[in-house]
Amino acid sequence: MPEVIVPIGPHHPALKEPVNFRVIADGEKIVRLELDLSYNHRGIEKAAEQRDFIRVLPLLERVCGICSHSHSSAFAKGIEEIMQIEIPPRAQYIRTIIAELERMHSHLLWLGVAAHEIGFNTLFMWTWRDRELVQDTLEEMSGNRVHYGMNEVGGVRCDLTPHQVSTALERLPFLEERIYQYVDMVNDQQTLLLRFKGVGKLTREEVLKYGAVGPTARASGVDYDARRDDPYFVYTEVPWNVVTDTNGDVYGRTCVRIGELRESANIVRYCLENLPKGPVRVNAPKIAPEGEIFSRYEAPRGELAHFIRTNGTNKVERVDIRTPTLANWTSVAMCLVDQNLADIPVIVAAIDPCLSCTSRITLINTPGGKPGIVTFDELRKRGQTYCQEQGPP
Amino acid sequence: MSVLKEMFRNLLSKPFTILYPKEPVPIPDRFRGRVAIRDEKCIGCSKCSVVCSVQCISMVDSPKEIEFKDKILMRKKKPQLKLFRCIRCGLCERHCPTGAIYLKNELSDSGTDREVVVI
Repeated sequence: MPEVIVPIGPHHPALKEPVNFRVIADGEKIVRLELDLSYNHRGIEKAAEQRDFIRVLPLLERVCGICSHSHSSAFAKGIEEIMQIEIPPRAQYIRTIIAELERMHSHLLWLGVAAHEIGFNTLFMWTWRDRELVQDTLEEMSGNRVHYGMNEVGGVRCDLTPHQVSTALERLPFLEERIYQYVDMVNDQQTLLLRFKGVGKLTREEVLKYGAVGPTARASGVDYDARRDDPYFVYTEVPWNVVTDTNGDVYGRTCVRIGELRESANIVRYCLENLPKGPVRVNAPKIAPEGEIFSRYEAPRGELAHFIRTNGTNKVERVDIRTPTLANWTSVAMCLVDQNLADIPVIVAAIDPCLSCTSRITLINTPGGKPGIVTFDELRKRGQTYCQEQGPP
Repeated sequence: MSVLKEMFRNLLSKPFTILYPKEPVPIPDRFRGRVAIRDEKCIGCSKCSVVCSVQCISMVDSPKEIEFKDKILMRKKKPQLKLFRCIRCGLCERHCPTGAIYLKNELSDSGTDREVVVI
């Protein structure tokens, strides 16, 4: 049978965000996947260069709606390292609590989305209902459901009251009970097992070859977590384990995420119970000395990296954000090969893609086909030539 | 089996939905809602305008005598808000030295014209 190209997106009813898939299929089997990302470029990195360290954090939080705390934490952590300031232990604990609550809400959201993709909407409704508890806790602690605005360079903006701590601790047993129920469901429900097991399989070698990160990598037995291997906040003080699995398929990724839900609940409980007293921020200098830092952070989707270069002013000279979704796309393209067409949504959803965070690639088609650096004037001239060739609209 | 157990539990429990606007939606104390200004406290220092991440606060002339730390100050300007530009990040509230600008515990209005000044 001849190969058929199935174009999906960038505007497609099944897609929540714009991305272009060109699926080359032979009958029902996928032969190859061609991806075109970057329909959502928002110029955040450039905008970040224009703002001082106070005003840049709300902007960086808005790189992603789900992992908003991750981006601001990664940046604040990097800048604090450049400024050589130590933030108070209470602030470290609060940052960890928010980070783990964020992981919990992200994984619950993912579980719902994955269930929705396979048509198991009962689980979708349940997880999203339970996620509301986490969201309520976050809203009470920070003042917002999505963009918490907790971080600032030098600590956190607001302290936790004893009432907030006790409310959060009261909610945790119910959440844990629900998480245990999801563990049972994932292992018992045939609806899930039939659609998850053996689908989108990646071996450990493939994961290492294509550079997948986060739960995608840990599901294939790669024992790597930035929280343990490049520790930050209070992860060295809190007892917790890195969750890994050896299945390597969508089922394995589900198991890892549910395991991480349990670990996160434990971390949150430990931090809330052992919250040290003291200030929640220190006065940070307005200007950062000249320097470069590569700040790594384990976001819910995987390792997030912020490369920050400062030049002795109150703004960054360059901030480069590598989101976990970008690292995971290659592995998606590889594990889709030889799978059924109907499994595309669940395999793509298994990395928990976040497309607007990822849109940061620039492709320049040079005449010789070789990569190089183009100056702004050259780019402008090219634009002018292109417009002249095209003629008036 | 777990699905059936949950189904029976749900049959016996109340609906989860809040019938808004008939029933009030609980809003936490710390909720970052609509930005408001206490005019009698504002000393016109412009800090809110400087830190605003979306530049929705501009300073306009408003001479007035303000009591601050047991002294009478003559303020020259006061902030003016473009409310539909505001992203409610709360930086203005965080950096205001007198607590004059703050985020109310109520939902903000929305609109499409970002340049509208809301008094």
